[in-house]
Amino acid sequence: MSAIQLSRKEKMLVHCAPIREERVDDRALRTALHRARKTEAFAVQQNFDTAAAALVQSIPIPEEITDWIPPDTFIAPRRRRWQKYAQNPAFLATGIAVLVIAIVGIFQLVERMNRFPGETTARRLLTTASSTHAMMLDPVKTDAGALGDFLFMKHRLVRYDVPPEFAELKTLGCRVFDDEEGQRVAQIWVVEKKMQFFLFPAERDPKTGKAREFSGWRSIEQEHWAGVVKEDKGVCFMATLRGSAKDLAPYISKKKE
Amino acid sequence: MAEEKQNLLQLYRFCFLMLADAAEAQEVFHAILREAAQLAAGSEAPRDRLWFFRNARWRCLEAGEQGLQAEDVDLRQDELADWAPSQIEKLDPQQFAIWISGAPEPQRTALALFYLDEFNYRELLSVTELKPPELSKLLCDGRRQFQAWLDATLPRTEK
Repeated sequence: MSAIQLSRKEKMLVHCAPIREERVDDRALRTALHRARKTEAFAVQQNFDTAAAALVQSIPIPEEITDWIPPDTFIAPRRRRWQKYAQNPAFLATGIAVLVIAIVGIFQLVERMNRFPGETTARRLLTTASSTHAMMLDPVKTDAGALGDFLFMKHRLVRYDVPPEFAELKTLGCRVFDDEEGQRVAQIWVVEKKMQFFLFPAERDPKTGKAREFSGWRSIEQEHWAGVVKEDKGVCFMATLRGSAKDLAPYISKKKE
Repeated sequence: MAEEKQNLLQLYRFCFLMLADAAEAQEVFHAILREAAQLAAGSEAPRDRLWFFRNARWRCLEAGEQGLQAEDVDLRQDELADWAPSQIEKLDPQQFAIWISGAPEPQRTALALFYLDEFNYRELLSVTELKPPELSKLLCDGRRQFQAWLDATLPRTEK
């Protein structure tokens, strides 16, 4: 026999090794037994235990018991609770995988629900907002709501109106420029919270040429900047500020005529 | 591993190993079944199969308290011998039960449950309420002590 040296823990486990192989369901015990099987001492122990167990099984059962309890009467096994199943590595791994897939699915669904026509332009303009300085705009001090006429009169921009929710805010400056796609974009700087407004053409269907409409306000966030976007008659309005969508929520929750 | 069904008659064998007295073992066995039946009638049937053996253990210890108590003395220990199986084969189950029931607690329970060959390692620890090193030492010492007893009782005959 090989001179395999078992560790202290392995020896401890081997001394408790169940006699029947099918009772060995502990990983550490199985590993210890795998090593111990190469030793003579374990073979002697196994033979000893097997003989003693056989002696126990030969204990006669009194007739008084066998008369009313058949030999194949079993104690029902305990019903496995869900916690027991949850501890099974296979169930655990499957559960985690399903959970991850569900989370990714929910994220994608939420993202999809938040998408709206013109989102790409809105995100690009959010980047523009983050790099714009007030001095880059022409100074215009008035109510934001009054700039619709100004933009129409000076730049021929039809329906470039600031929605009622933001119409009362005081402006600091304004400019009109062509974006990367050659679309006319109006940019307005307001006093309150250094907000910036953008008015730009709504995304159009390439086949029909009609503006893709969407209802209500949609929010976007990007690199510490937030924006809320609304489409009306083919023109999108976006209010932006440095912060989160929560900072803009009070404005869009106002009901104004 | 799925939990196995437990043969009810093994419960009697456990009681017998603990008490080494068929009448007393039968009494404890019946008492446990009565209690289980009463619980089942009250919709509280024991859900844990180990409940029967835990219950049997304490009932046997209680019954054993009335008799002579095993002293916790250092018994002679011998190395397990190759010829031990042939020595054990010559024994009567009653002799083995007398030897086990004479062991001090918790070694008595540990040996009785272990040689019943019905439990895995975790279940043994659970019913005996022992820590792994304690169970290991009790079983290891038990084997050696039993070997010493075998050597004293049934000396090896030279072939």
